[in-house]
Amino acid sequence: MDKLLNPDFGVMALTVVNFLLLVWLLHKFAWKSIAGALEKREKQIADDKSAAARAREEAQQIKTELDAKLAHIASEAAKKMQEAVALGNAQKDQLLAETKQQAERMLAQAKEQIEAEKNKALEEVRGQMASAAVLAAAKITGREMDRQSAAQTVESVLKEIEEADRSRA
Amino acid sequence: MDVAETIAHHILDHDLGFMLGTLHLPITAHTLTMFGISVLLLVLGWLMARPGKSTPARALNVVGEEYVAFMRDGIVLPGMGPEGRPFLSYFCTLFLFILLANLIGLIPEMKTITSNIAVTGGLALCSGGLIVFCGIKTHGAVGFIKTFVPGGTPWWLVPLMFPLEVISLIIRVCVLAIRLFANMLSGHMVLLSLLLIVFIIGKMNLLAGTGSAVPAMGLEIFMTFLELLVAFLQAYVFTLLTSIYAGMVIHSH
Repeated sequence: MDKLLNPDFGVMALTVVNFLLLVWLLHKFAWKSIAGALEKREKQIADDKSAAARAREEAQQIKTELDAKLAHIASEAAKKMQEAVALGNAQKDQLLAETKQQAERMLAQAKEQIEAEKNKALEEVRGQMASAAVLAAAKITGREMDRQSAAQTVESVLKEIEEADRSRA
Repeated sequence: MDVAETIAHHILDHDLGFMLGTLHLPITAHTLTMFGISVLLLVLGWLMARPGKSTPARALNVVGEEYVAFMRDGIVLPGMGPEGRPFLSYFCTLFLFILLANLIGLIPEMKTITSNIAVTGGLALCSGGLIVFCGIKTHGAVGFIKTFVPGGTPWWLVPLMFPLEVISLIIRVCVLAIRLFANMLSGHMVLLSLLLIVFIIGKMNLLAGTGSAVPAMGLEIFMTFLELLVAFLQAYVFTLLTSIYAGMVIHSH
């Protein structure tokens, strides 16, 4: 049992040599490449993460810009809409006024035309009545009546009728 | 039956008597097991590092990367800081070497080389060398010697503090060897003792010996599982303490 606690220095030296050789060989053929691959992948992940963060930041910036643009466009559109409505209202009013004026003008023209036609018709009626009155007077009196006095007579009769109409109205 | 002899026979190293001329070579059962473990580790490391397309090869790659990442982030960087990065290979090898040495001892007819004080002493010497190397690399030779005297120590305490600190470092390294050796030795002694109980009682009374086999085997199985845990634990403790001691030397003020 004494051997248990007395180290064999040959075995100890061999252990040191064997272990250090093993460390060197494993470093060369295993751990170096594994750690390299690991660090490479970790670096790639870190790069991807930072790229993603950058892209997210850029996207956020673009979104902010777009939101601002959209808000500007919306306010511009509202402004344009208001202007268009105002312009439309003004044009409508103008059109209505013009139409009204035109309608009034046409109405006035029509009235004038009617009046002229009426006067013309009245003139004709008067002429015919005068002719008829001259003829009737000639038949009753048996003598010719000059045309001017007949016209004056007819005129005075018509005036009396008109006055009678006015007084009745 | 000499119980102590039987246990010693199973645990002790056996010289195989190789000679190189008149020089006696330290080729023993333990050193042969150690070479076997080294070859196994080399093959395992090569397989883990080799890029493969098959599922087992990829699984080994993943295991290798996870192992290296664990050693780096769980042991080397917390213990030594970024200065420990160049020594990652040492720690990766150290843990697996001790673990395989501990586990192989659990296989019947195999030797537990970590129950040999010469082997654990050799490993502790390597760790001690690493600790001193880290100290000299970080502080320079003179600076490293100066770290043995804590800053602010009165001049008249220096002759006392310096040898105490040197002894403290030596003891730390020795304790690494003794802890691993004692844990593995005691575990295997308990396993053997439990087995021998059956034969000792059986020699006294065959029926009692047969009856004692059941509880003894139950305890044996329990102890084997405990040894399995101890195998991992001791490998971890040895590696972690080496990194902590190296870190203490690197970051000493």
